[in-house]
Amino acid sequence: MAGKKLMKGNEAIGEAAICAGVRHYFAYPITPQSEVAEYLCWRLPEVGGAFVQAESEVAVGNMLFGAASTGLRTFTSSSSPGISLMQEAISYMAGAHLPVVLVNIIRGGPGLGGILPAQGDYFQAVKGGGHGDYRVGVLAPSSVQEAVDLMILAFDLADKYRNPMMLIGDGMVGQIMESVEFPETNREDNDPIKSDWALTGALNRKPRVVKSLFLNPDLLEENCLLLEEKYKRMKENEIRYELYKVSDKNRLLIAAFGTMARICQTAIDELEREGVSVGLFRPISLFPFPEKEIYAEAGKKNIEKILTIEMSVGQMVEDIERCVKGRKPVEFFGHTGGIVPTPNEVKDKVRESLGLKK
Amino acid sequence: MVNRPDVRYPVISKRVVAIVGGFGSGKTEISVNLAKYFVFTGHSRVTIIDLDLVNPYFRSREAKAEMEALGIRAVVPEGGNFYADLPILLPEIKGAIEKSEGKVILDVGGDAQGTRALGSLSEAFNRQDYEMLMVLNSRRPQTADVGRSIQTIERIEQSARLRFTGLVSNSHMIEETDPDVLNEGYELSREVSRKRGLPLVFISVKSDVLSRIDTAIFDCPILPLTRSMLKPWEQNKSTES
Repeated sequence: MAGKKLMKGNEAIGEAAICAGVRHYFAYPITPQSEVAEYLCWRLPEVGGAFVQAESEVAVGNMLFGAASTGLRTFTSSSSPGISLMQEAISYMAGAHLPVVLVNIIRGGPGLGGILPAQGDYFQAVKGGGHGDYRVGVLAPSSVQEAVDLMILAFDLADKYRNPMMLIGDGMVGQIMESVEFPETNREDNDPIKSDWALTGALNRKPRVVKSLFLNPDLLEENCLLLEEKYKRMKENEIRYELYKVSDKNRLLIAAFGTMARICQTAIDELEREGVSVGLFRPISLFPFPEKEIYAEAGKKNIEKILTIEMSVGQMVEDIERCVKGRKPVEFFGHTGGIVPTPNEVKDKVRESLGLKK
Repeated sequence: MVNRPDVRYPVISKRVVAIVGGFGSGKTEISVNLAKYFVFTGHSRVTIIDLDLVNPYFRSREAKAEMEALGIRAVVPEGGNFYADLPILLPEIKGAIEKSEGKVILDVGGDAQGTRALGSLSEAFNRQDYEMLMVLNSRRPQTADVGRSIQTIERIEQSARLRFTGLVSNSHMIEETDPDVLNEGYELSREVSRKRGLPLVFISVKSDVLSRIDTAIFDCPILPLTRSMLKPWEQNKSTES
């Protein structure tokens, strides 16, 4: 796959997994994510891999648990309702310290909702959609190339922290076609036999157990504290974000993630030509969240307000408010149900926030 | 759209034209631009049919308003089904193929899966004087070389139960398309054309790129193309040159 290709986000996510060494993929089709499975069903056999279409997303979650227990890189992709069905297994995998990658190409919810793009699964991904004291690492790409790069990173982080990682993209990330390049990768360093926990056959060694069941409360608390210690390390080392046109001329700072940030960039470029200076803060890692960085940006003297824009009725805005700690007013604008805010709407909202004429 | 003396524009005399190809080859842009081209070259009745039952976003139904403003009839699902990813085959499609006057363009879903819908219309189709064009984009995985292109052609013909009548070279990288990409696609299409005995009916070239190239390098007609399927962040950017 040398050279630049034109690929749909979903296809590119599939190819990125192959680059990351994945040969085992389990999924159940759902719009707007199905092209990941459609792509991998012919592409995986070309590289000696296999795609198992499960009978449901509940089964997918448990197949992942099994495959990940053997130390193999594995992943699934789905869209909102499918990810909801997997939550039990995600909690189990987090409790059992299993490295696994989940991709959620978000559609409009709640319930069966619709098939158009949305970001309403932010809470589910970031705050933990399943039960118990656990977190998944969450990365949010805004382009096809970034989806590829973050997908490969997600596998590395899943291994590094032995924790589930989730890539979340609004439906647009999965459906847009953009040019993309794949890195040459060599996964030989990722041999499960060399790990000290994977279930690779107990011949000539002590058996290992991968589980999330701890009936003794002391042991269960110990496991939760072990998890908590991992999340603390993730917060120290895995903060990712991008600034766009942030300067001491900015009157307002927009916070947006995923493709919503690109729509805001168009609005920011156009506002700049009108003499209105606005910067963009785009969190890339949603967990861990760039807390200190947002706090610092909000503290800058020139910033009058923070405006959070999402394809939801307002979810990340709660984290923005939490991090800004009342230093500046935090406002929100969004659409949901598959309606995507337009650059013109963003511009109008910025003007309104700054008391400028429309 | 059709005012360059150095450009040889496509001549498509058949009444019914099906635009078919691999996933993401650019069928919708070709269909929408061909419909506009027919209008600009004096066809008073043009119908575009959205037969894409596999793609959830960026379908020709999204250009409905643009089409209707030009007097083009757009046959697309209505109401909630407009947004659905359900295999809805509108009853008026068969009627439009068989009975409508003027040019009829079918924007067919990608690959063998997407073409299955066309297969269910193959009898009605076979009774017409039709053109079935295979859209090739050398930057797409399933038509990246001659071998894969021919495999895709064969898979589609099987599922459509119809034979291709010609090729369209549509190699592009959207806004990053340069003459090298066009040339690469042209060479691929010529080779597939030679191997399959299918004429290269036209090469599509984005209008802004067309103004920068020597058109003499292509020994085939050229369809100038203006993007209709814009991403939300491209909303205010006109791609018309």
